Amino acid sequence: MPATTPRGTRRGSPQLRLRIGFVVIAMALSVFGARLVQLQGIDPNSYAEMAAAEGIEEVELPATRGEIVDRDGEPLASSVDGMMLVADPKLTDEHAADLAAFLYKLLDVDYVSTLAKLRAHETDEGVEARFEYVARRVPATIATDVVEEAERRGFEGLDTWRDPLRDYPAGDVAANLVGFVGTDEPLAGLERTFDKELAGIDGSARYEVGSGNRLPLGESTTTDPVDGRDLETTLDLKLQWYAQRVVRQTVEDARADSGFAVVMDTRTGELLAVADDPTYDANKPTDAPKADLGSRALQNVYEPGSVQKVLTASSLIDLGLVTPRTKIVVPSQLDRDGRVIHDWFGHGTLHMTLTGAIAQSSNIATVLAADKFKRGQLYSYLRHFGLGRRTDIGVRGETKGLLPPLAEWTSQLEDRIDFGQSLSVNGVQMTAAINTIANGGVRVSPSLVKGSATTDDGQQVGTDHTTRKRVVGEQAARQTAIMMERVVDPDVGVAPAAAVPGYRVAGKTGTAQAVGAECGCYDGTFTVSFAGFAPADDPRFTIYVVVQNPRNGGGGGSVAGPAFSQIMSYALRRYQVPPTGTRPSRLPVAW
Amino acid sequence: MSNAAMQVRSRIPRIAGAAVERARLTVVPRRRRSAGRAPFLALVSMVLLGGVVGLLLFNTSMQQASFASTALEQQATRLAARQQSLEMELDELRNPQRIAAAAKRLGMVQACSPAFLRLGTGEVQGQPCAGGGPESPSLRINPLPPTKPAILDPPPNVVTVDPPAGDAESTDNSSGDTGRGNPDRDARDGRKKNDR
Repeated sequence: MPATTPRGTRRGSPQLRLRIGFVVIAMALSVFGARLVQLQGIDPNSYAEMAAAEGIEEVELPATRGEIVDRDGEPLASSVDGMMLVADPKLTDEHAADLAAFLYKLLDVDYVSTLAKLRAHETDEGVEARFEYVARRVPATIATDVVEEAERRGFEGLDTWRDPLRDYPAGDVAANLVGFVGTDEPLAGLERTFDKELAGIDGSARYEVGSGNRLPLGESTTTDPVDGRDLETTLDLKLQWYAQRVVRQTVEDARADSGFAVVMDTRTGELLAVADDPTYDANKPTDAPKADLGSRALQNVYEPGSVQKVLTASSLIDLGLVTPRTKIVVPSQLDRDGRVIHDWFGHGTLHMTLTGAIAQSSNIATVLAADKFKRGQLYSYLRHFGLGRRTDIGVRGETKGLLPPLAEWTSQLEDRIDFGQSLSVNGVQMTAAINTIANGGVRVSPSLVKGSATTDDGQQVGTDHTTRKRVVGEQAARQTAIMMERVVDPDVGVAPAAAVPGYRVAGKTGTAQAVGAECGCYDGTFTVSFAGFAPADDPRFTIYVVVQNPRNGGGGGSVAGPAFSQIMSYALRRYQVPPTGTRPSRLPVAW
Repeated sequence: MSNAAMQVRSRIPRIAGAAVERARLTVVPRRRRSAGRAPFLALVSMVLLGGVVGLLLFNTSMQQASFASTALEQQATRLAARQQSLEMELDELRNPQRIAAAAKRLGMVQACSPAFLRLGTGEVQGQPCAGGGPESPSLRINPLPPTKPAILDPPPNVVTVDPPAGDAESTDNSSGDTGRGNPDRDARDGRKKNDR
């Protein structure tokens, strides 16, 4: 019977066949497994590299660095697609002279040094040079045009590489605040402080290419770059420029060491200009001495001198201890525990009001009035005015100033602090303190950044974080303001040059002995300043001008006063602030 | 059919006999296919061919699009760079320093303190004054040249020459400029006088 015959005589038994099959499969799989371990476990990268070499292209998608703009959106710093021009001396050697002349004409590079680079030479290590920078940070359009033109003329060996370009279109305007970017990283100013926000995150793309074109169905991964965020400042580019020119002229004419001007919006505390001189061109930071690269208005300390009397007087009025009409008998000099206090002008015994003490800037009268303070009261007021504390507006290296701790206060020290000696401030700090008087006794914290931004040490700064705090009563602030108006009065004040015709201006001069860096003592030079605001009865701007070491013998009224007047006049015109039309202060200065 | 089935059938009442006869299952006769294989083969070949040709065309068009996109991307990069360069140029043209220098060249002067005219009442607020007058500030927009040591900056050798008699009317006025209201020119003239 056929049914009894085993079917698989010729093919072997099914069990055997199954076993053999399994063994074969297992052998094949273990070969695959071994190969897998070899590929993935032992040497995964070399194959990936081989694959990449096989037409896979990986490119970096650079993030665009954010702009730094002024309050109207005009750029103080902007990023432009840039390229570096590089040469292979081995190839350029043939036409080196012609090529150098060509590059000199188109890119304005130095002919002689370029020629040396284009000639075949050896590097310092004794190897044949195959790479030289011809020009760096050239706008991309110009660089590609130059290379195309060079190729058309038959010059070989030029190439372009990406080289991002940071442009400062306004040159030296606000350079001391904005800072600059070096070859690889930001080196100073806002550029460095807010680098994390400005820089953005680079992306990358990886795709297969065939003869320069992307293969449509090939491998392709793209990580989009995240562009940097623009940094909006509160600065006003044009006002900043004007202030910088006025300060430079003032410093030059007074043959001074340096100077700065701070313009603050009275109501919001926004800094419209922080003008430093000497300054530098942010496009060529290496041309300037290192000392000029920072902002003296924030990073230097100095003694404010008589400008401080405004804070003393307003505190006294706020406590109800004096009024602008308080009568003071002013001797020709004042002996305080063995130390004699003088006034800047020689006089016999005078009968001054407190207003007169401010208008004439009398140290003796201020000290006599300030005798009414109880211990610690002035210290507390000065703390509230913001002295001895950073303004934290986002400028790196800002100084705290120097307000001696209360424990160190002696009566002699307090006398000197009354008229602005033995304590130090920075420019913006003092502007904010004077602005407190302008703003009806409420201190608005100053700000340089619009909105909010995070500094490199994680601090949140900007107008979103503005704080307002009452320091003196509104009445006290108003009375101080009308006392300060008498300072610019041509008949009774010391700084008629600070007046703005047609406007009521309140201000205060300061002429302080400066402390030398080497000896830590008064070195015979002076810091002259003028702080003020206008219109006096409805202030819009507070401006503080400080000049270090004028050599023309001028004081706060004659050196800083005219600069104040010019900048204030420009600011009032630019922001269309009409005069208030009210009658100016007629407070008596003597009795 | 098995015996068990026949037993079941024998137990069925006779009345249902006819129904059972009718319900008996028979094998359906296999129907002969009348259609030939040719049309089907043609259809499949058409689909196959169409698919291959379509895929080829699709691939070609994708490749074409890839060329186009590469070209367009390059163009976009070039145009973006061009835009940035132009914006950079524009920003440089808007640099206040350049504008001030241009304004000075045109003979413009700085305004003095601001004044306002109320159109409704005709009232003037502030103290108006003439531009370029004595109250008008003069702002230097460029830094002074660095002071040279005396050896490099000798005092000018001044030789005073009396003007020829009868030629007093002729002044340095060839450009037709009155010289008034033009401090820039005044300054230049002043410098010339000093040099003389």
